[in-house]
Amino acid sequence: MKLEIAADVISNSKKDPEHEKKRKRKWTGRDITLVGMASLSLLFLAVFSYAPLFGLVLAFKDGDYGLNLLKTMATAPWNGFENFAAFLLDPNFVDALVNTICLNLIMLLINFPAPILFALLINEVRNKHYKKVVQTLSNFPHFISWVIFGGMIIAMTDMTTGIFNPILEAIGLSSEENPVNLQGADYAWATIILSSLIKGVGWGSIIYTAAISSLDGEMYEAAELDGANRFQKAIYITLPGIASTITVFLLLNISGLLGNSFDQFYILQNSLNLSKTQVLTTYVYQTGISQRRYSYASALGLFNSVISVTLLLISNFISKKTTGRGIY
Amino acid sequence: MRKVRFNWADFIIWFVLGLFALIALYPFIYVLAGSFNDGMDYSAGGIWLFPREVTLANYSVVLMDDDFWHAFGNTVLITAVGTVCALLFTSVVAYAMSRRELRFRNFFQIANLFTMFFSGGLIPYFMIIVLLGLYDNFLVYIIPSIYSVYNMIIIQNFFKGLPEELREAAIIDGASELKIWWTIYMPLSKPVLATVALWLATGFWNSYFSTMVYTRAGDLETLQYFLMKMIKEARVDTGGMDPSLIEQTTSATISFAAIVIATIPILLVYPFIQKYFAKGIMIGSLKG
Repeated sequence: MKLEIAADVISNSKKDPEHEKKRKRKWTGRDITLVGMASLSLLFLAVFSYAPLFGLVLAFKDGDYGLNLLKTMATAPWNGFENFAAFLLDPNFVDALVNTICLNLIMLLINFPAPILFALLINEVRNKHYKKVVQTLSNFPHFISWVIFGGMIIAMTDMTTGIFNPILEAIGLSSEENPVNLQGADYAWATIILSSLIKGVGWGSIIYTAAISSLDGEMYEAAELDGANRFQKAIYITLPGIASTITVFLLLNISGLLGNSFDQFYILQNSLNLSKTQVLTTYVYQTGISQRRYSYASALGLFNSVISVTLLLISNFISKKTTGRGIY
Repeated sequence: MRKVRFNWADFIIWFVLGLFALIALYPFIYVLAGSFNDGMDYSAGGIWLFPREVTLANYSVVLMDDDFWHAFGNTVLITAVGTVCALLFTSVVAYAMSRRELRFRNFFQIANLFTMFFSGGLIPYFMIIVLLGLYDNFLVYIIPSIYSVYNMIIIQNFFKGLPEELREAAIIDGASELKIWWTIYMPLSKPVLATVALWLATGFWNSYFSTMVYTRAGDLETLQYFLMKMIKEARVDTGGMDPSLIEQTTSATISFAAIVIATIPILLVYPFIQKYFAKGIMIGSLKG
């Protein structure tokens, strides 16, 4: 009996979706449960994502060096856009901003296309075992924390015990009397770019490898009949085939122009290279948490978020206009 | 069938990929060699592939360090509890969000998506942590990480692909939504749940930011934070240890031993990671 009623309810609701839309359905116990389940996310986000947005009022208050953050938030006097003026005129901020933008642009040119190239190369390997070995080895660094990987990089770039100085000496780029310090400011960017490359390329290529494997094999066969070589197939079939994946990641990368991996930069920073490794994420930590300049760092964070979202919107808009592809 | 013959293009591709794989592997070999080497001898340089003066002293010092074990224990606990809680919480939400008949579905979705792109930044977030009493509290490792919109979308996409008939049959049997989620959707979604669980677990295992910012460390120290101190500040506590043992070590070689020990758990789950991670990415990219 129960069974029949239930079956009836289901078939009825399925019969006429148009009709169902117009008529207001009654709330059932199931609706309440589902809304309750979904509301858990709102509860979480209200606390950890939306409530902090109200905390941004601190960016418009004079709350630096407050002893108690909550009290500061409530009692500090308003000061308009003074905090924004303060960081925009601060040479330390300008340095961090320049480092952030320059490094991210270089990485966009090198670290962004590298996994795509890697995936194209992997795709050309026909021996499954070799493919598997290469992928296993090159993905591994991704799963290691930046503390550990950074520790390895620091050990390897050490002037006396590292592996690079002897190599540099052997080829005459460094000498024992006047050794090159790879941990100094001059080599900081190279260290950061190369270490992200080693840690990220293998794993970064997986998404593209997956996209390539879902491409239609018939297109390749047709191209072969037309006499296309491997290089031509990669350029004219594979690349256009994964273009939408590339677009999404490119847009995300552009919107992340002001973001960096805190973990990576913090572990690789030292007193010698700080002028080249201070980026906005570490600068916010340094000013906001270490120095307790709460308002200053809040203003900085707000600036950062607004620019990032703007960049995402602009790049998405341009991408949609020109290629018809976007994130949303 | 194509004839297999020597081909320069193939050779270059093999060589470039092989070289990169070796470069990715090398840092581990370097640290492994150093961890088995005498400390003073290591300082003289030249330990690149194999240890020269082999000793286990570095490992002894790490393994006898109570702080190391304390941090290790904290991290194991955080990883285990955090992963389970986050997986349950996120998949409950994902279940509701995967249902077409969910009321206010659009509203829920927009409210979730917005947070992926706009955040208040570090200081306001820090303030919420303090306000909730989570500062310097073990729960700061768990509660703020129990939900992630990205993971929810991944699981939701998988749920959407499950056959509708299963749910209908369960409704006929009078099962509640919670029961359907737990007894039908969860067991059928093992591939995606394994993927997300591994993402979560490596995230918990590798994190040190929370310790550094939201705690005073001490009792709440985590493994990565412990390693970070060792690497950045060359801080090693050898108080009360056998002097002959200490003589064979330096802070550098001890940190290598600690790095190797901290990497072992990742190494153990790596085969599973390899298997599921790629799958999960595909699930997310093809349907998302």
